[in-house]
Formats: sequence, structure tokens, C-alpha cells
Amino acid sequence: MGTPWHPPAYPSQVAPPALPQLLDQLSDLLARMCTEAGANLRGATLGLLEGRRRLAEKVVAGDATMKGLRAGIEDVATDALLFHAPVAGDLRQVVAAIRSSADLERMGVLARHVAEIALRRGAPCAVPDRVQPAFTEMGRVGVALAHKAAEVVRTRNVVMAAELGRDDEAMDALLVRMFATLMDRSWPYGTAAAVDVTLLARYYERFADHAVMVATETATAVTGRRPHDLMELLGETG
Amino acid sequence: MRDQYQEQLAALADALADMCLQVATAMELATRALLEADLQLAEQVIAADVRIDDMRADAEEKAFGLLALQSPVATDLRVVIAAIHGAGDIERMGDLALHVAQAARRRHPQPVLPAEVAPYFAEMGQVGPALARKAADVIRTRDVVTATTLEADDDAMDDLHRHIFTMLMAPSWSHGVGPAVDITLLGRFYERYADHAVTVARRVVYVVTGRMPGPLAV
Repeated sequence: MGTPWHPPAYPSQVAPPALPQLLDQLSDLLARMCTEAGANLRGATLGLLEGRRRLAEKVVAGDATMKGLRAGIEDVATDALLFHAPVAGDLRQVVAAIRSSADLERMGVLARHVAEIALRRGAPCAVPDRVQPAFTEMGRVGVALAHKAAEVVRTRNVVMAAELGRDDEAMDALLVRMFATLMDRSWPYGTAAAVDVTLLARYYERFADHAVMVATETATAVTGRRPHDLMELLGETG
Repeated sequence: MRDQYQEQLAALADALADMCLQVATAMELATRALLEADLQLAEQVIAADVRIDDMRADAEEKAFGLLALQSPVATDLRVVIAAIHGAGDIERMGDLALHVAQAARRRHPQPVLPAEVAPYFAEMGQVGPALARKAADVIRTRDVVTATTLEADDDAMDDLHRHIFTMLMAPSWSHGVGPAVDITLLGRFYERYADHAVTVARRVVYVVTGRMPGPLAV
């Protein structure tokens, strides 16, 4: 039933790449996805706040790039599992790459959602003045988290990975403030604007959460410990 | 040796299917807590979320064990990779049920939902768990036909979600911004919950057929 599955075809004289090479490819592809996600969020934010339609349109179209990178990661990970049957730390790294690719693809989708709202609203600035600085800041924090996640997957630096959790607190604080602004009785922009602001704030927050998860995956793969223990390991409180 | 291997694969599928049933119950109870402003029930859902996290950890350990000791190939390898993804999706469904329960707790003793919106959430609270239960069936049986019916069920969720937005945006909306913000987030939680269930079923289709069904509109 269904199409039979075939392992990737390598020319018969050529052996599949060695495991360290495949692991390097995985790190590289993950880092590219992080960078791409960061660029998408930056473009989407400029589209949202400064009416840069072209940038927003590029983000919407850029979704395909992220999907392609993700498929690439799954292919390389499958090769690694199939030809090398890695164990211990190497196995954890491959599985972490598979999982992180899902988080990163989601970051691309969330950036696209921001761009879509920017395009739909069409005004030079698609959010009310009162919340514009907060969104500028959310964009900055989100992009910085994506770039730091790229650094973490490239260097496998566990200490830096733990920093993302702390950086993400800035995003959470921005979200709490945003909701306080919305709930304020003096919100003069009506319900429709409030609904968009709510969704946008949530997109930025989720983008940041996924960036943290990517870094946490890497750290867990390096240390072999679950995230909770990892924080203890690094002397963090949570 | 092979028998033990097949048993391990079946145990992995069972672990995921059980997770689906667990998050179905979680969303049902969370919805009831939301509709009836039932604080105790909300607390119960919130407290039970760690169980879902543990189930994910357990499913992942099973997947790791298979990869490390059995080095599966071909379809079996795809099954294990799909299971790793699926465990993540289903855990997220549990988180979304948790968020619904937290909303109920945060506004208690006030109801979160105005009377005219409540029936739509009651319906989303049925469609979501039904999707989760169907996903459990699909995982156990690898029945591709059932898997494709999840798409149609998800359309019902999308329609409900869209309708709620229309109500929020209508000039006749009289409940102000605060409830609108809550409802926007809640609607999103149910919609994402359903999306994850569909994604799980789609991966089963991929495992069986080698082809991923068309893109999911999210």
C-alpha cells in the first residue's frame, strides 16, 4: 500500500557523507533557518510599523524558503540516522535538529502572520500610535533572539543558550504591558484594532518562545540533561 | 528480536495515542471550566498538565530507545521521526487546554464569555477534543481515510473561529475591548489545538504513503 520508500540515492562509488559532516550540515541549516526567521520578523515589523509593503510581501513569499530549509534538515537527519545509526550525544543532536526545524518553521509562519496583518491594514503604520514603540521593541527583541539562537546552534554554546531564557523575559514583560494598555478603559481605537494588536502581540511572543526552544534543544543535546536540570546546572533559578 | 522491536514500535504508537486522549479530556474539562466559571475544574486541568509533559518525555524516551538500539530503516524510521514530531504537537495541545483553563481561573468568579459567544466556544470545545480522539485512532490504526476526515472537521473549527471574529468586529459588539481581547486569544487557542491534531494525522499519512498531503492553511 502506498509508495515504497527508497533511501536517498548516492552514486554507487561514493559513500554517504561521514557523520561529522552531516552534523555540521545540520548546524549550518539550522543557523540559516534562524537567520532567515530573524530577517523575516524584521521585514514584517518594518512592514507593520513603517508601511514597507515590499518587505512585508517578501516575508509572505519567503515562507517557501523556510519550508525548503526544513525539508533539507529532515533529509540530512534521515541520512544521518540511516547510514550511521548514531548514539548518545550524536543521536541527541540529530533529534534536536529535527525538533528545532519544526520550531523554526513555525517562527517563519508567525513572521508571515505579522506581515499579513501589515498588508491587510495597508496604512503606513498598521497599529495605533500608543502601541507602536512597544511593537518596535518586540520586533527588536524577537530578531535578537533569532540571531542568538543562530549563534547557539552554530557554536553549541550552552551558557549562551541559557541566556535566551532570560532575554525572553523582556518579551513577556512587553506582552504584559501591551495587554494592560489594551485593557485600559481609555483605549480609544475600538475593538477591531484591539483584536489585531492582541494577535500581533501573541505572534511576537510565540516567535520568541520558539527561539528559546531552539536554544534549549541544542543545550539539552549537548549536555544530555532536560531543560529543568540544565538551568540548575548553570545556576539559574528558572 | 524483531518481535520485541515491533512491540516497541507499537508501544510508541500507544504512548502517543494515550497522549491524544489525555489532551482531549484536558480540553473538554477546560471548556467546561470556561463556560461554567468553575474554578475547581480549572485548577484540576492546570494541575494535570504536568502529566502530559511526563507522557511526552516518556514517548520521547521510547523513540530514542528505538533509534539507539534498533536503528530502524525505511518506514519504521519515518514512524519514529513522525512520533518525535507528534509528541511535540500533542504536548502543545495540552498547553493550549491549559491556557483555556488559566483564562477561566484568571477571570473567576466572572464568566469570561458573554452569553452570545458562549455557544460557539461550547462547540469548539467539542470539535477540538473530537479531533484529538480521531488523531488517536489514526495513530493506532494508521488508517489514511480517517486521517483525511480530520481536515473536514478542522474546517468546522475554522468556520467557528471566523464567526467569532465577525462578532467581535461587528458594530453591535457591546462588551468592550477587555472581553474582546480574551475571546481573541481563546479563539486562537482552540484553532491552534485543532491545527496540531490535523498535523499529527497528516504525518501518519506521510508515514503510510510517503507523501505529505497538501499544505495546511495556518
